[in-house]
Amino acid sequence: MLTFDGFDTCRRFHNVLIVYCTDEYVLDMTIIKEAGMMDVKRRNFLKGGVASLAVASGLVGVDNQGVAEAATPQPENTYPTVDIAPLVSIPPGTEVAFDYPDEASPSVLLRLGKPAEGGIGPDKDIVAFSLLCTHKGCPLNYVADRKSLVCPCHWSSFDPSKGGRLVIGQASQSLPQMQLDIQDGMVRAVGLDGLIYGRHTNIL
Amino acid sequence: MTRVPLPPKSAETFQTVCQFCIVGCGYKVFKWPEGKSGAPEADGNALGIDFRQQQSADSIWISPNMHSVVTDKDGTRKNVVIIPDNECSVNGGLASVRGAGLAQTLYAPDRDTKARLKKPLLLGVNGHTDVDWDEAVDLGARVIKAVIDRWGPDAVGMKFFDHGGGGGGFENNWAVGRFFFSGIGTRLASIHNRPAYNSEVHAAGDAGLAPLTNGYVDARLADTIMVVGANPYETQTNYFLNHMILNLNSESAELKERTFAGEPSGSGRMIIVDPRRTMTVAAAEAAAGKENVLHLQIEPGTDIPLLNAIARVVLDKRWHDIAFVRQRAEWQTFEAYQRSSLGVDRPSAEFVGEAAAISDVNETDIYKAAEWIAEPKKGGARRRTLFHYEKGLIWGLKNYENIASIVDLALMTGNVGKPGTGCSRLGGHQEAYVRPPYPGGRPALNVDEAVRRGEAKVFWIGGCNPVLTTLRAEAMENALIERGASVRAVLEETKGKPVGERVVAVVEALKDGGMFILAQDLYMTASAQHAHVVLSAAGWGEMNLTSINGERRLRLYEQFMDPPGEALPDWKIMAKFANRLRELYEHDRNPLMANRFRDYSWRTDEDVFIHARYSFKGDGTDPMEGYAGLTYDLLRKLGNEGIQTPVRLVNGTPVGTPRLFENGRFGTPSGKARFIPAPRPWPGYGAGFERQRKNHRFWINNGRVNHIWQTLYHHQHIEFYRERYPMPCLEINPADASELAISSGDLLEISNDVGSVRAMAYITDAVKTNHAFMLFGQPRGAAGDLISDHVDPITTIPYYKGAWADIRRIGPAPEELKNVSFLFRNRVD
Repeated sequence: MLTFDGFDTCRRFHNVLIVYCTDEYVLDMTIIKEAGMMDVKRRNFLKGGVASLAVASGLVGVDNQGVAEAATPQPENTYPTVDIAPLVSIPPGTEVAFDYPDEASPSVLLRLGKPAEGGIGPDKDIVAFSLLCTHKGCPLNYVADRKSLVCPCHWSSFDPSKGGRLVIGQASQSLPQMQLDIQDGMVRAVGLDGLIYGRHTNIL
Repeated sequence: MTRVPLPPKSAETFQTVCQFCIVGCGYKVFKWPEGKSGAPEADGNALGIDFRQQQSADSIWISPNMHSVVTDKDGTRKNVVIIPDNECSVNGGLASVRGAGLAQTLYAPDRDTKARLKKPLLLGVNGHTDVDWDEAVDLGARVIKAVIDRWGPDAVGMKFFDHGGGGGGFENNWAVGRFFFSGIGTRLASIHNRPAYNSEVHAAGDAGLAPLTNGYVDARLADTIMVVGANPYETQTNYFLNHMILNLNSESAELKERTFAGEPSGSGRMIIVDPRRTMTVAAAEAAAGKENVLHLQIEPGTDIPLLNAIARVVLDKRWHDIAFVRQRAEWQTFEAYQRSSLGVDRPSAEFVGEAAAISDVNETDIYKAAEWIAEPKKGGARRRTLFHYEKGLIWGLKNYENIASIVDLALMTGNVGKPGTGCSRLGGHQEAYVRPPYPGGRPALNVDEAVRRGEAKVFWIGGCNPVLTTLRAEAMENALIERGASVRAVLEETKGKPVGERVVAVVEALKDGGMFILAQDLYMTASAQHAHVVLSAAGWGEMNLTSINGERRLRLYEQFMDPPGEALPDWKIMAKFANRLRELYEHDRNPLMANRFRDYSWRTDEDVFIHARYSFKGDGTDPMEGYAGLTYDLLRKLGNEGIQTPVRLVNGTPVGTPRLFENGRFGTPSGKARFIPAPRPWPGYGAGFERQRKNHRFWINNGRVNHIWQTLYHHQHIEFYRERYPMPCLEINPADASELAISSGDLLEISNDVGSVRAMAYITDAVKTNHAFMLFGQPRGAAGDLISDHVDPITTIPYYKGAWADIRRIGPAPEELKNVSFLFRNRVD
């Protein structure tokens, strides 16, 4: 049952209704109305959803010229918040597998032991990345002794301490890096920079 | 949220091939108005893929770098998506890190590629100012005419691209060649990366071979692949990943069995000769198992004794292909080769032992290499070995003898003209050579020297950047500055005066040691900034062009956007100059000279392609580029598979050549291949290099790295590439670094008796102690500043790999390197 009691719930709401919030073709206004959300979060929805609303209400049809692209980027809070692991359970050197933003996107959280680009936590050393290689989509291995993410297919390797940048190999972008936060001792994924392999947008 | 627009079904589509390396991977281009996107449903987008689902590994995907927005001449903004072509047999849908960023190289007024040259420029005291094409061409043509009339054609020097791919192609090469050779008639010509107009592989030509003999399929079929002085994972990526690796990991075993019924096959082996333990070595070991990869980590300049020692072992074991040598080679050259290169009058053990000591390769590895190359297989079938070599050998100590030693080894073991064999360059850029004959002889004139010393009165730099890439690079830049200064001054003084007066003043400056410089390029390069006349050229995707790749696969690279501003394809620039020179000579009532500049009335890219085509006969005697009978229309139909040159016409139908020399006839007058005997098994470094070796501790190897194409002319304008190598890296061994208190990222100064250069330290075990490796042509530091002006006297090819220098730490990593990773680049786990 959906209720609204502030920002975090709002995110949970997004989490649950992810398919409605992000797919511009099937955005369902009725659910938003039912959830009593319309007034409070309307602005955020509309920011990313102008084109979507238009499609849903038949103002712009899908023809062979393609549909209009979203006028502005989707707001970040369309990403779900996912608990990964309690901070106390991830000492330096730990890796934790999880899926984000959905089950089809294997990801890894690493506590590197040294400050890293985009790192959080007391030592700014906790980072998380999509595990799908941005070359051809093979799942990466984490090589702990070198602190490197390496693809077994064509041997691209990425540096998790440098924002997932390509060290060598044939990928054409850095690994998508999760935005993390820590809430009540829990490390959580709340967003994502970069595009996950095999998708045209991160939220399917 | 990051997202890429999907090409709608209505998107325009184009076929093209990557503009960068020799491999020539096929790509598909989609273009459609900005603001529109295809639907994610499979029937709603041009890729036919259901993007509502996560795509599996190895599927088609548009990464953000494969998309950009361009602005057409009419002001409309268009999405462009460029993805690897999964139907192209060269790359099979794989992109390299370079090709995957093709969309980012496109000109756009709102991205860093806005730095492209849009109009011709004229240099004054306060820098360059825009001029019209007519003014630039008129001034340039008049100065060139005055120089020809006064000093003769050889006073007009040039250094021009002769390659395929971006900025090249048969079309532009033909126009450049006609202009300088049939038109001006100068011998003072040089090719983009070197001081003269010469082959990088004269020895292969003299032996009757071509530079590119095999098809890429041969790398799937070979028993052993030998790679000398090359690093294909990084620099011929998808030949390595989509062909060689499939052999090493047994994926091509079934193809082998089918092709060679009854002959033992199995997974392939690889021999790599490289002073560095590169990613190629690591990846080959991962695919084939360490037991099937032999890395010979030689000392610099010792390829000749190593390759000859391997050949000596083959000879002693009687593993050479005596039938092939008797039938297909000039026998007396084989005898001479045995005597002078293989030292048959000396005991084998002594000969091999000496080579091992010189090259720092174990004797057992020399014997093993000989076994892998030539030991007969079970049942007596000959082993099929594919030989590949590139800049490690070409830019090595003795260009001619280096190439000879691998060509001789391939001939001796009969590894040419059969499936699974070959002896070819791996190649750097793509090829597209078609020009009237170079008027000079061999060894060719050294243009760099003429520029420095004063014989060159005009110097025209086209699509290359010698200030970053030539030997004694700083001396080249100084010559451009100092000899260009007086011309620059008179151009300023005569501003606004009639062009005749200006030309007279320029000629006075030239008499006094000045030099008139033209540059034709995409960007304001380090060389172009010294040019008096800068000509804005169109690039890849902005004209139709044709080129061949490393297996001679010729394809059409379609134009899909307008050049920026008034930039023109190189062939149009050459035609403008030719037409103006014809008018000037006609005005002079000099029909002899005027006629040399006739027939430049091409209207389309294809007009030039067809004009050049008449250089070829299609009767089986053409050089490897021959493309008789081809049209753009036919090439469109052939798509990214194209056709492998040379093309023969059989009853008027073009027929390609997947593999050269299958008929057993070689490119010599006798039709038989020739062994090229080396005068002595080991030439030594020579006095100059011995002195440098004695005075300076480190050998400074140099070359390309995975991310970067050549001088970064595009990549310095694209953040993804620029931020990986914001300055040249210098790979240094951990032990040496620790001794010199160097950390990765530290700023280093590398200096010797030629000059000095700065680089960022990159500590790695890829290099041995006392060896270092530098990215070669980075705009902020040219390895050429350390390279002496020594050239092989037979070929005028430099010893670009030959520099010894000292390394000094001058400071910690600058702030701008904070995003640079210094993880080892040669690891697979």
